[in-house]
Amino acid sequence: MVSRAPAQPILSARGIVNRFGRHEVHDRIDLDVLPGEILGIVGGSGSGKSVLLKTLTGLHRPVRGEVRVDGTPVDRIDAAGKAALFGVLFQQGALFSSLSVAQNVMLPMRHHTRLPVDMQERLAAMKIELAGLPADSGIQFPHQLSGGMVKRAAFARALALDPRILFLDEPTSDLDSVTASGIDALIEQLNRSLGITVVVVTHDLTTLFTICRRVAVLVDRKIVVDRIDRLLKSRHPWIRDFLHGPRGEGAKLGALSAKEQSHGIR
Amino acid sequence: MSIALAERRSPAIDIHADGDSLALAGVLDVRTLPEVERAIGQRTKGGKSQPIDLANLSALDTPGALFLCGLRKQGVELTGVRSEHSALLELICSLDLRPLPSVPRVPRWRAVIIEIGKGGDEALKDARDIITFIGRTASATLEALIRPRGLQLASISRQVAETGIDALPIVGLMAIMISVVIAYQSVAQLRLYGAESLTINLVAISMLREMGVLITAIMVAGRSGSAFTAEIGVMKAREEIDALNVMGLDPMRLLVVPRLIGLVITLPLLTFYADIVGLFGGAMAVQALLHVAPMQFLEHVRGAVDTRDLLVGLVKAPVFACFIAIIGCMHGLRVRGSAASVGRETTRAVVKAIFLVIVLDALFSVLFEQVGW
Repeated sequence: MVSRAPAQPILSARGIVNRFGRHEVHDRIDLDVLPGEILGIVGGSGSGKSVLLKTLTGLHRPVRGEVRVDGTPVDRIDAAGKAALFGVLFQQGALFSSLSVAQNVMLPMRHHTRLPVDMQERLAAMKIELAGLPADSGIQFPHQLSGGMVKRAAFARALALDPRILFLDEPTSDLDSVTASGIDALIEQLNRSLGITVVVVTHDLTTLFTICRRVAVLVDRKIVVDRIDRLLKSRHPWIRDFLHGPRGEGAKLGALSAKEQSHGIR
Repeated sequence: MSIALAERRSPAIDIHADGDSLALAGVLDVRTLPEVERAIGQRTKGGKSQPIDLANLSALDTPGALFLCGLRKQGVELTGVRSEHSALLELICSLDLRPLPSVPRVPRWRAVIIEIGKGGDEALKDARDIITFIGRTASATLEALIRPRGLQLASISRQVAETGIDALPIVGLMAIMISVVIAYQSVAQLRLYGAESLTINLVAISMLREMGVLITAIMVAGRSGSAFTAEIGVMKAREEIDALNVMGLDPMRLLVVPRLIGLVITLPLLTFYADIVGLFGGAMAVQALLHVAPMQFLEHVRGAVDTRDLLVGLVKAPVFACFIAIIGCMHGLRVRGSAASVGRETTRAVVKAIFLVIVLDALFSVLFEQVGW
């Protein structure tokens, strides 16, 4: 990983409170995202993972509290600034169905840069390639793509403006394990080579064990942030069940053997 | 810490020739790229490739890396690549970059012909679909009526409530408005002949024979026809229809028949209601225009129209109801896959239902004229 100056958080949330009617989802949550890291966010169903993601990206205004990016409150960053800062991969891809994959990738470029069209096309082809899609999928439309390809196309679009932080909402859900591993590898690759900070909301324990260095767990309306190896020793019942359940053990084994293998190859 | 943001707003790049080599200093990203591309393009026009020094490059993004990789492939030597940029540069250079495949262009005249052909084919398929669906609906409805145990009474009553009772305010309002419009328009014309009192005849006859049923049917097509398509369409998109089929339940009998029967019950009642409310609106308008008291208006109406006029209007209602329900349900079941398809089919259903209502109304007019009603 690229080493940078002292670990000043690139994004920091302070005292986030989210409430829907009487139902309180977040109770004064603090969260720091460090530059260049891959941070996992996990939690049970209805623990407010998606709401937290929306709060961090400024799509949802919290009842109380504040999110700052490089010291600037997120709601004071203008549209162009936000586009350059954040890339979001939505759970269902959220590709614009009336546009081809390449047009999807070029849409933010067209509105936020003054690049000539042929340059935009070259860049779009590069991002599509970077996301691991074959070059001819650029002219395909979202409905012609398989689930894994939709995720990759959405990746290409999220990367369109070289954002500094990439938010991923369940990037491996609905995918078979081979495709999911491919997506994990892609996330790691982008993080390592482009130096993009990644915040990933996931249920996928394999993703968590293979690529996340720190994990934020949403439990009891609060948040626990720690390194994964230290969370494994946590005594909180939900965290213990989550990480040490049958699925957790399987994923740990898988992730370990995968790491050994990749070390062997190197 | 807001320096980083400020920096992004006004990135700067400095290109200077240093003897035989070029040096880039500053930010090479998507914003400074056009400038750099221009400058370097001019310098390398001569054909000789100068090495480019990148030691003072503070930031590099993927478009910048793509550009540098392009130079490298042309044989330009890149020197002094910083360690934090080398991974990015290697990744981008390792990609097998190919231009986007071009979409084959169809000449305009051929596109027009293709569109016409598609439209014709679509219309043919539509007509066939409607006929088939009418047949299926008829058989399912007859079956349900013969064996009333299969009749979904609760479902029918819900349809009556939703398509009928909930529509009362809007249909009533429309009926009043239309009769006021007719009254005002005809008074202005009839006054020229001193026959203002005939305004009442005009309002009453046009309301009962045509406007009452037409307005109601159009309103119901927009309100309930679209609801049928959307409800059934969403069920189709979420595989609920397939679930019914797997469980051995007939979607035609469970979803289509109750809606059809419900609407056939509702639309004549709504039409009658619209007629009455329309006459009431006419009475108000005539009182304002000609100072005829409502009781006098009623007296006059009794002389001007007979039961036949009312029946001519009401007879059309069940026919319209059948077509609105059939078109709505048919398009709902035509939904394929995505949510976008639901919207498209709903629009089509409403347009087609209103179109058909008006066509049928015209046919009825000719028919009644021939019969002498």
